[in-house]
Amino acid sequence: MNAQAYKLCMLGDFGVGKTSLVARFVHSTFSDKYLTTIGVKVDTKEVALDGRGVCKLVIWDIAGRSHLDALNMTYLRGASALLLVADGTRERSLNTALDLLMQSRTLLPDASVVLAVNKLDLVERWEVAPAALAELRRSLPVHETSARSGEGVEAAFADIAARLVA
Amino acid sequence: MTHAESGNGDRDEAMAPRGAAITDGPADIARAGGPSAAIAHGGIASTNVASADGASMSVAPSDDLDRLKDILLDDERRAIDALDARIAKLDRSQRELPARLAGAIERAQEGAGAERFASALARPVTHALGAAVRENRQVIIDVLFPVIGPAIRKAIAEALRNLVADMNSAVESSFTPRGLRWRIEAWRSGVPYAQIALKYTLRYRIDHVFLIERDSGLVLDRESAPHLPELDADAIAGMLTAIGEFVRDSVGRDGGGTLDAARVGEHLLWVVAGPRANLACFIHGVPPATLRALLERRLEEIHARIDDGDDKVDASWRRSLRPDELMREAAADESESRAPSRWPALVVLLIALGLIAWAIVRHEREITWLENMRARLGAHPGFVLTALEMRGEGVTAHGLLDPDAEPIVVSSNGDTSPRLVLDTVGYVSTDDTIIARRARRLLAAPPGVTIDVKDGALALAGHAPAIWVDPARERAVWIPGVRSVQFAVTPEADAAAVARQELDALSRTISTRRIAFVRDVEPASGADALLDQLAGEATHAAALATTAGAGIEWTAVGTNDDPGSDAINAHLRATRARWLADALASRGVSNVRTAADSDEEAMQARQRGAYLRLRIDGAMR
Repeated sequence: MNAQAYKLCMLGDFGVGKTSLVARFVHSTFSDKYLTTIGVKVDTKEVALDGRGVCKLVIWDIAGRSHLDALNMTYLRGASALLLVADGTRERSLNTALDLLMQSRTLLPDASVVLAVNKLDLVERWEVAPAALAELRRSLPVHETSARSGEGVEAAFADIAARLVA
Repeated sequence: MTHAESGNGDRDEAMAPRGAAITDGPADIARAGGPSAAIAHGGIASTNVASADGASMSVAPSDDLDRLKDILLDDERRAIDALDARIAKLDRSQRELPARLAGAIERAQEGAGAERFASALARPVTHALGAAVRENRQVIIDVLFPVIGPAIRKAIAEALRNLVADMNSAVESSFTPRGLRWRIEAWRSGVPYAQIALKYTLRYRIDHVFLIERDSGLVLDRESAPHLPELDADAIAGMLTAIGEFVRDSVGRDGGGTLDAARVGEHLLWVVAGPRANLACFIHGVPPATLRALLERRLEEIHARIDDGDDKVDASWRRSLRPDELMREAAADESESRAPSRWPALVVLLIALGLIAWAIVRHEREITWLENMRARLGAHPGFVLTALEMRGEGVTAHGLLDPDAEPIVVSSNGDTSPRLVLDTVGYVSTDDTIIARRARRLLAAPPGVTIDVKDGALALAGHAPAIWVDPARERAVWIPGVRSVQFAVTPEADAAAVARQELDALSRTISTRRIAFVRDVEPASGADALLDQLAGEATHAAALATTAGAGIEWTAVGTNDDPGSDAINAHLRATRARWLADALASRGVSNVRTAADSDEEAMQARQRGAYLRLRIDGAMR
């Protein structure tokens, strides 16, 4: 209870690696089966801030889908940040992530948003063009991550934490 | 193309035609353009054979075929040998696998890889167990039996131990003030005492209390009982919020319902929902209903503070959510709710007041009744009321009662009137009414005599038989209570003489009433009316004879006309006399005898008939 807690929701298409990112980042309390039953799983992680103490991210891993239904919108309520996750090997997943962002903006206009382009370990198969990412970076903080190797994961979450306490 | 040049993919295709050539004989080899045309023609002792590298070598004829085979099939033989060796190695490895696997598993459980190893095995082991349970259920049961039995017994023993502890507590409290209160509550509510006792002795505890922001699911505050393992409150609160949203979205969307409670075994989760925050209470055991009301009240207080802009979690806020504090307040609320209601006391008071009012009314009615009864008994002639005593449901009237007084009849005034019992002692009343009754009784005054008493003065007047007058005059002065006598009774005429005169007249008249006969004992018309008249006169004559003190004798007389012999006429007279006696007897006049044959009066009549003759024997006194 010492660290300020923030609700972070992870959004992205099916199979982009959201759950793997969370699993890489946190030690899960609950089973992944909740994702297939109620469509969400909640974990927490305390993130150390450079010289600014610690904040606690309460991470709502929302089951992957291309659009947000009413139940998903209730899961988003009260979120302070969104972590959009796309699969670098599937360009379409990037579009889906951006669509989800647009849908969630109606409910969370002020939430901090970070985009994680996952599967950096398969960068040779990426369909997402570097130019596109560069263009995206002009409007969104973008992190290239690999849930398999862990590369960029801590940085993405640290970026979110930093933006939340800023 | 050489073997060395051929790739693996071409090897099989290349071997087949070569094998076929070998089988078919040297001619095929020659057709195939092989290195030696001489082999195709046979009978050659020796020849030069080009080797694979282009060199030629000299071979003996007997070894030619083998050497050729070696040249052509060398690669295949080496491959086969390698496969044989590999198969042998696999066989050996498989035979050694159990021993090596056990060692590998043991090594895998050492160090940091143990958890990963266990995690890797979890799923296949789970599936294997599931399959084993499905396919070899009995074996699993047999294996687990030694484990399940003691586990069940232990669980049952633990449950019984707790129940016995609760029951012991209930029994021990039976004779304490608290037990008495429980008994009163049981009596008041109609619930068995054991149930009331168990209700208060069943234990529960609050493990955690979460105050959760409704929208985000973030924990605003969390209070836990001491000595419980640390938990990820934010993750639990988040999942709880998500599950609540899921439940509401699934089943309560239309009705706006929320997840209020969930129970798993002895663990109970209560969720009290508010517009901005929810309270989640993790409970072990059976909590009282007042706890939920307390949680709702507490959440309302928190919302009030939030609405006032004070949403900072401070010490007082935390203290109000501490499990021990909540349990203490719930117990206090429970005691307050168990405080005796005023209603029973009011009901008892109303009943008591009703009983008192009823008693007063009844007492007043009894008093009134007694006064009426006292007045009534006091006015009753010949009765002197000495005391009126209430005894139980009845009233005993003590007093003096003259034997000549009228009986005291108490008419019942409904069921509410007491039952009257008389306790009387005889006495001689000087009441004028009673003296008059006494005088009439003692003097046996005939109806023609009037008796009047005034202030003890007895006045007799009227007419009475002479035989009564003189004795009555003498006895009147001796009647108790009579102070003076005024005797004015005059003697009546002699009734006996009158009756005798009337009887004599009747005797003369009755013998003239003759019943005529047509023949023998066949009466003429009008005989029945005459017989009825005779019977009436005979009855009246008997009464007159009694009054006159005379004896009477009836004789039926038969008569005859002139014709006929004396014997026949005598028979006819006797027969007609008997007929008359029987006819009168049938009309109630008995003791009628028949006239003798020698009756002169009968013989002189000279007509067919019969009549009744009355003989009077003079005065009896």
